[in-house]
Amino acid sequence: MDNTLYVALSKQMVLRRELDIVANNIANADTTGFKVESLMESARPSAPAFTLQGPRPVKFVGEDGVGRDFGQGSLRQTGASLDLGIEGRGFFQVTTANGPRYTRDGRFQLDGTGKVVTEAGDPVLDDGGGEITLNPQDGPVLIAEDGSISQGSSRVGKIGVVNFTTLATLQKVGDNLYRNTSNQSPEAAAGVRVRQGMLEGSNVKPIEEITKMIEVNRAYERISRMMDSTSELARTAVSRMGRVQ
Amino acid sequence: MQALRTAATGMAAQQLNVEVISNNIANMNTVGFKKQRAEFQDLLYETMVQAGAQSSDQGTVVPTGVQVGGGVKAGSVYRVGTQGTLTATGNKLDLAIQGRGYFQVLLPSGETAYSRAGNFAVNDQGQLVTQDGYLIQPAITIPNDATDISISKSGQVQVTQPGSPTPNQVGQLELVSFMNEAGLLAQGSNLFKESAASGPPTAGTPGLQGLGDLVQGYTEASNVDAVSEITSLIVAQRAYEMNSKVISTADNMLGVASQLKS
Repeated sequence: MDNTLYVALSKQMVLRRELDIVANNIANADTTGFKVESLMESARPSAPAFTLQGPRPVKFVGEDGVGRDFGQGSLRQTGASLDLGIEGRGFFQVTTANGPRYTRDGRFQLDGTGKVVTEAGDPVLDDGGGEITLNPQDGPVLIAEDGSISQGSSRVGKIGVVNFTTLATLQKVGDNLYRNTSNQSPEAAAGVRVRQGMLEGSNVKPIEEITKMIEVNRAYERISRMMDSTSELARTAVSRMGRVQ
Repeated sequence: MQALRTAATGMAAQQLNVEVISNNIANMNTVGFKKQRAEFQDLLYETMVQAGAQSSDQGTVVPTGVQVGGGVKAGSVYRVGTQGTLTATGNKLDLAIQGRGYFQVLLPSGETAYSRAGNFAVNDQGQLVTQDGYLIQPAITIPNDATDISISKSGQVQVTQPGSPTPNQVGQLELVSFMNEAGLLAQGSNLFKESAASGPPTAGTPGLQGLGDLVQGYTEASNVDAVSEITSLIVAQRAYEMNSKVISTADNMLGVASQLKS
């Protein structure tokens, strides 16, 4: 009994979560290297309902996971020599106090000692997993498409760009960083190009998100009305039966 | 409802963005001004279902997990240190730095500040000062009877005086550089101060050790590009509107929920 209400409620809970995710996408529509997310829903079969016509299947709505679209965000020019954008599938490696993290936000700078660090001050790693130190007095920094860094005529290192076989196990930890939750180890990314003086914008498509938001809103209203009419039905039934007695 | 708070962080971030852009536009004609950019980062994620968690005794794992983000925050407002274009002024005491480096300015408090604004003047004692009257370091005094001043690319200040066929050298200008120029603290009035993030200053002769050349009779214009600032302003405004739409949607959904007939 009351299956309708519970099924409707399960959908409403999922819709609310969906709105939370859409809100996060829209809030991050201008965040460097942000990857858009969407909620994946599925039917959750449960014990059949017994009606006058016999057992009927009941399926609740459940949330399966958050799908992340790792598609390329558009690169925009900033002109800063340590702003790097990745074209293709790959991540920069960063050492934080909590262990290795991966990011597509290539807004790097030198710290007071000449180390290449992220905006939070965490060192960026080269292709061998070591820190990169530059001396600005040696001339302008040039970073080639393969990530090699040169100053003047000498090569001083190479920015590490790594990739994972399965991107789904990467977990977002905020600050534009990802954590590797599986035991797959990062490998050197193939077929990626590092663009100097560029940053990768967010790949959120605002129109899609606004459309999704309208859908969520209308679905929520529709289900509320369905819940209203279900309880109306019960109320009518009770009052009519009362009259027959 | 999380969406309400998430959208509020989005609106706050875009508001900061507009503030930074408007400061850039306001300083479009400020000598030596470097434009700033607000950069954003996503906030902490709440993990509902952990990716990689075991989903059965047969060893299958949850492939993606459910993570809901809490919105956006300002990661940093950083200065873009690209070269501004040089503008000819014809003033003998206007100096532009073509390349890296900062002038050293002695503040009345005895501290040293750094500046790229080279629109200098002389005070009543003939000393080279900024537009605020602060002394340039190392101090340079222009004699009262100097008929012409010439400042070389490498910072040698020479004056022509009556009765002397060759110009006399009265000083040598220095520039300083920092490991991380973006880490300097802006003090207003085109002045910056050293910080732990910038590293200590290294003084040197213009043109050497990676420092830029001096160009006499020019000032460095700001590196603000009006068209790109206006474009950013439009983007920021639209993003602000979209976040406000999220708030009204979340509010509507809450309203619908509270109007359910019991």
